[in-house]
Amino acid sequence: MIEIQNLSKRYDDTIVVDDVSMRMEEGSITVIVGTSGAGKSTLLRMINRLVEPSSGRVLIDGQDTMAVPEDELRHRIGYVIQGNGLFPHRTVAGNIATVPRLLGWEAKRIGQRVDELLQLFQLDPAEFAGKYPHELSGGQQQRVGVARALAARPALLLMDEPFGALDPVIRSKAQDDLLAIQRRLGTTVVLVTHDMEEAFRLGDKIAVMDEARLVQYGTAAELLTHPAEGFVERLVGTAERPFRLLSLTRVRDVVEPGTADGEPLDASIDLREALARMVWVGRDALPVLDSSGAMLGRVSIGGILAHGRQAP
Amino acid sequence: MIRPAVFLRIAAFALLVTFITAPHVFAFAFEPFTENGAPAIYDQGSLLSLTIAHLQTVFGAVSASTVVAVLLGIFVTRPSGLEFLPLSRSIVNIGQTFPPVAVLAVAVPLVGFGQAPTLIALFLYGLLPIFENTISGLTQVPPLVLDAAKGMGMTPRQRLLNVELPLAMPVILAGIRLSAIISLGTATIGSTVAAKGLGEVIIAGLQSNNVAFILQGGLVVAVLAILLHDGLMALERTIAARLG
Repeated sequence: MIEIQNLSKRYDDTIVVDDVSMRMEEGSITVIVGTSGAGKSTLLRMINRLVEPSSGRVLIDGQDTMAVPEDELRHRIGYVIQGNGLFPHRTVAGNIATVPRLLGWEAKRIGQRVDELLQLFQLDPAEFAGKYPHELSGGQQQRVGVARALAARPALLLMDEPFGALDPVIRSKAQDDLLAIQRRLGTTVVLVTHDMEEAFRLGDKIAVMDEARLVQYGTAAELLTHPAEGFVERLVGTAERPFRLLSLTRVRDVVEPGTADGEPLDASIDLREALARMVWVGRDALPVLDSSGAMLGRVSIGGILAHGRQAP
Repeated sequence: MIRPAVFLRIAAFALLVTFITAPHVFAFAFEPFTENGAPAIYDQGSLLSLTIAHLQTVFGAVSASTVVAVLLGIFVTRPSGLEFLPLSRSIVNIGQTFPPVAVLAVAVPLVGFGQAPTLIALFLYGLLPIFENTISGLTQVPPLVLDAAKGMGMTPRQRLLNVELPLAMPVILAGIRLSAIISLGTATIGSTVAAKGLGEVIIAGLQSNNVAFILQGGLVVAVLAILLHDGLMALERTIAARLG
């Protein structure tokens, strides 16, 4: 668990992060979102002390980060940046081995860990271990960047616009991969982005920053149904709001008893996608199957729309 | 298969080695340049030992320049040394502005005749290219890479040795190559103050009006310079290719 207490950063007269307090739960993904210059990167970089706070403190599992030597602190925290920052003079394996080497692991253990991570990120070790970063595609470089950050099994992973340099198709895949890997490893992730869509997709909790201040911190549903006045409302977007709300709920949670005609829907897709399908095929209701193919019931347009409505 | 360029270099190297070990084989080629029955091949010392002495002088001077210039370059690109950057730049520039002949003239009264004044002149002259290249090599390391290195918990020392220097290496090597080539040519004037080297052959030729001698000294130095240049260039390319 990370606890940020009254954290501020000032450069001369400009205040970049203004008295931010928040708590990030163990094993969750927290997304910090805001416009550029809102102070979100600075907030992130104060967690691993790449930026020294002007005041306030950061506690990781109850321990003040200032009590640990900064290099030692960073060995325990994974760090991924936009454009990945891979070492161009080291192979993929060499890049991934960076922190284990700094920690003095044995060569054999490092080798095993590198293979394990490459497999986790669907990169064949035989093919990729010896390649240099410039021989990889953007998406592959990004995966190696995340693999490198996870090499020494950090409990906490900091990501600064990790998908910013990727094209939309690869970005969407990278986001899915991150979710899958995070669920599997249980790593606590703090991710910075300016992309609201990304924040809703990845964040268990979303922190919205504007002009150095934390203006709202809550789950996606809280942000959509009770946005803080002004900035968050604009950021969430009134036109998009109901659809974003729909995308937070899965079909399996709104199944009604009964049957319907037409191509069945998978229970794991979200309501936004289900609605899109119904509009497209021109039906008011569709049957729902679970992943094993068993019929669960049906879902109706009315039932879906009720979930996109503003809170009473 | 050997590419023509590589073949040419191997041939040049073979020719050079043959010439400095057994120069008399080539007497026929230099005979047309002699007058009044003067010797066609330098006869006041062994070309082999002169070449070795010449290369030793260059190697010594360039090694010293490299150590000093690279250390200085590292120092002035650290946060603690940043304020010395303009000062060290001007000092190193002065080294370059002084013509080596002038340095020899000043150094001889101080350290006497022989190898020492030549080494000093070459050392000073070789500092600038290496120093400037070290600085530009170190400052052009991508900030993102440095940020990542820092974020993963590398100490400043680890960042320098494991990231900055390896990435700056091709540029630093280019500086060393430049210095080595300049030194190789400039070292010939060391013979005016009694340093052993290939300049001896050229000066003997000038004094006795023997074009054959001048050609021999000049050609050996020129071929050495070309081979050294190409060798260091190949090394740079190998390293740079790995960096992509």
